[in-house]
Amino acid sequence: MTDFMLILAGLFLPLFPLSMVFNTVFSRVNNTKYRNLLLLLWPQIGLLLIYLSNVEIPGWIATWGLLTALLYGIRLLAIREMQLWISFLATSSWAILWITLQHSGDDSPIFLYALSFSIPLIVLLLLSDELVKRFGAAYTGLYGGLALTQPRFSGILVMAVLAVIATPLFPAFFTMLATVAHSAPFSLSIAIFVGIIWLLWSWAGARLLQGIIVGPASESNVADISTDATRKYAATLVSLIIIGLVLLGGLP
Amino acid sequence: MERLIILLPLIPLLSALTNHLWSNKLGRQVSRVSVYSSVLTFAISVLLLVLMLTHDIGGQVAIGSNWGILIADPLSVLMAVVIAGISMIVRIYSVRYMVEEIGYGRFFVLLDLMAATLFIMVTSGDLITLLIAWHLIGVLLYFLLGYDTRSPSAFRYAFWTLVTYRIGDIAMVVAAGLLYHAYGTWSLAEIFERLAAAPDAHHYFGMPLPELVGALLAIAAFARSAQFLLHTWLPYTMGGPTPVSALMHAGIVNAGGFLINRFAPVFVHTGDVLHWLFIVGLITAIIGSILMLTQNDIKKALGYSTMGQMGFMIMECGVGAFSLAIYHLIAHGLFKGTLFLNAGNVINEARKDDGVPKEDLYTFVVEKRPARQRQPWLVMAAITLIVPIIILIVAHWLVSQDIFQKQGAIVLLFFGWVTGAHLIFATYRMRSQNIWRLMGLIIFSFAIIVLGYSVISHAFDLFLYPDPAFRSQIYTAANIDIFWFDVLVVLITAVMVLGWLARYYAERNRNKAGQHLNSLWLSFYALVSREFYMNDIYAWLSRLIINFATRLNVWMRWR
Repeated sequence: MTDFMLILAGLFLPLFPLSMVFNTVFSRVNNTKYRNLLLLLWPQIGLLLIYLSNVEIPGWIATWGLLTALLYGIRLLAIREMQLWISFLATSSWAILWITLQHSGDDSPIFLYALSFSIPLIVLLLLSDELVKRFGAAYTGLYGGLALTQPRFSGILVMAVLAVIATPLFPAFFTMLATVAHSAPFSLSIAIFVGIIWLLWSWAGARLLQGIIVGPASESNVADISTDATRKYAATLVSLIIIGLVLLGGLP
Repeated sequence: MERLIILLPLIPLLSALTNHLWSNKLGRQVSRVSVYSSVLTFAISVLLLVLMLTHDIGGQVAIGSNWGILIADPLSVLMAVVIAGISMIVRIYSVRYMVEEIGYGRFFVLLDLMAATLFIMVTSGDLITLLIAWHLIGVLLYFLLGYDTRSPSAFRYAFWTLVTYRIGDIAMVVAAGLLYHAYGTWSLAEIFERLAAAPDAHHYFGMPLPELVGALLAIAAFARSAQFLLHTWLPYTMGGPTPVSALMHAGIVNAGGFLINRFAPVFVHTGDVLHWLFIVGLITAIIGSILMLTQNDIKKALGYSTMGQMGFMIMECGVGAFSLAIYHLIAHGLFKGTLFLNAGNVINEARKDDGVPKEDLYTFVVEKRPARQRQPWLVMAAITLIVPIIILIVAHWLVSQDIFQKQGAIVLLFFGWVTGAHLIFATYRMRSQNIWRLMGLIIFSFAIIVLGYSVISHAFDLFLYPDPAFRSQIYTAANIDIFWFDVLVVLITAVMVLGWLARYYAERNRNKAGQHLNSLWLSFYALVSREFYMNDIYAWLSRLIINFATRLNVWMRWR
């Protein structure tokens, strides 16, 4: 029963090859609202299953989670389609939670850790939709130069990407910090691998941004996002920082 | 009064916020807000330094519950003055330099944010605050270097910087995790106190905690200060605006030296880590200096010069001269910042008149046309070898009589002697109307520099590490077995002297020099001109990883 619950949890806190299920479902769902729900709830279901089964995470499953996170971290480097990029980063970051679960204490806010990854991804997904509306597709390296033609959108995109790759002071930073700091005393190699996965996200994030905002201004006459929308996105990101600082900033 | 320390990051943060929110209304006036804030922070930092020197103030201010601690101690206040001074000059310089650029407001917002983050880094009193600042500096530098969003190449090299910095971040986070697990607190003061009480109390993975943490912190310092193998980003990040280059070379790149000083209470309990610092610093200094000499682009040459200087700085830490490293980074920051800000003028003047080949220095160094009249070699050899060592010994003896008991001081004296001797050796055959006057001026300048360096670094030692026992502990930690120390000194002296003799022989027998030597020299030059193929190897590795990732995605059908 316990093993079954763990395998079932491995579907929602993705373990390769079960991770392919989430990526397939995410790509098949075309409605943004449902996609947002998937991003929000998928890891929470996995955590709930583990919480209900009340089992201790075995070392082999945590290592499996780490390898899954590494695999999707590497694969993320070659992704140009933004929604697939979001899906792969979600897989990589949720898989890291197995390490967090193994080494953090019982009082660690694991459900909030999962949200710290999910919510910025939702913001990024909404921004990718803005790109689809304007250009027909959200691809990095396809148009470029948006920093000059769409400065408001570019500014928000930069902040959203920084949030998903766990840059300070966004909440995912504290999740990653807790994961590395708590695993380091027990296994140096695991801590270093988590650090490498974090680096891969930064690398992939920089590649994503460079393909969208950098370059000479294109001649296409596409409107920037409205000031109101900019304010809403900015308020969401600022709230994310504040809530993250309050709920996750006081590391145990 | 130590509460003033909060204002140092707060003022530039407010300036950044003001400039960002009202950039449309302010227009080009954003620079004024930024400059005024920088002048104010500089004044506050100087005031704090004066108060610390005269009233011995100090302490810490906690903003959060278990992190967000800012400390006012000699190291943080001294570094704050340096950062405030350099960032103020950079911002004043940028007012007109950047005026025609797109995104003028964004540039000053980023400069303000960088200044605030640097202040937080040097004043942080706990591991989390330090980690946040340490990480954010890499991110902000990425956007400052890639300021011109039209230029993919600027972003490409900014990206190299980001990735290298992230490598250092990993080591730093792991070190923080180990310290937290061992001592149950994020506060640096508490960690250092408990570590000093029982240095051998904790072992991880078969290693004493200070040794392991020291090694990890050293890696973080290497990445930040462009040590060999982690250096390629530094000379290539010239695509960014000149003020950013100045700020980076004068302030940000020195963070490695600061980090080692901040964690001095950890490093005094390490065994081999300081020796590794010395070796890595030495290799970096030599390779950086060689590469600097082969560049034909002034900014890239300055980049490699910084790499060499960072090597010296880390080397100084490796011999236990921690406070000297701080003095070095300040002195280097000032002269390198000046050189960068003046690089544009030099390029502009060179376009009008390149000075080739009329200047004596050019005919001597490049065309290798020495003076026809030669001085008696025995007299010149004696001056070359004896004068520098006398100056160095007298200068060090004046500041501290027991300095010769420290191996680190002997190593630095040795380097000083080699440098002084080489300076005289290289210039005594230069064309000059009065060779004795030239020699006299060189020796006088050398004496002033050595004396100034000795006196000021000694003052830094007393200011940063007032406890004589701790000072002595640092030097002791850097010591090696006396037998091996003597062997190394003799060996290196022999290598240097043989090098000089080989050079002398080659000069005397230039026409008879074998084909073999020439081809060897050309091969070496080719290697240096390709910068030891380091960039090619890293570029190839990146491509390899991306291609591998693409193949994986195809095999797994993008799921």
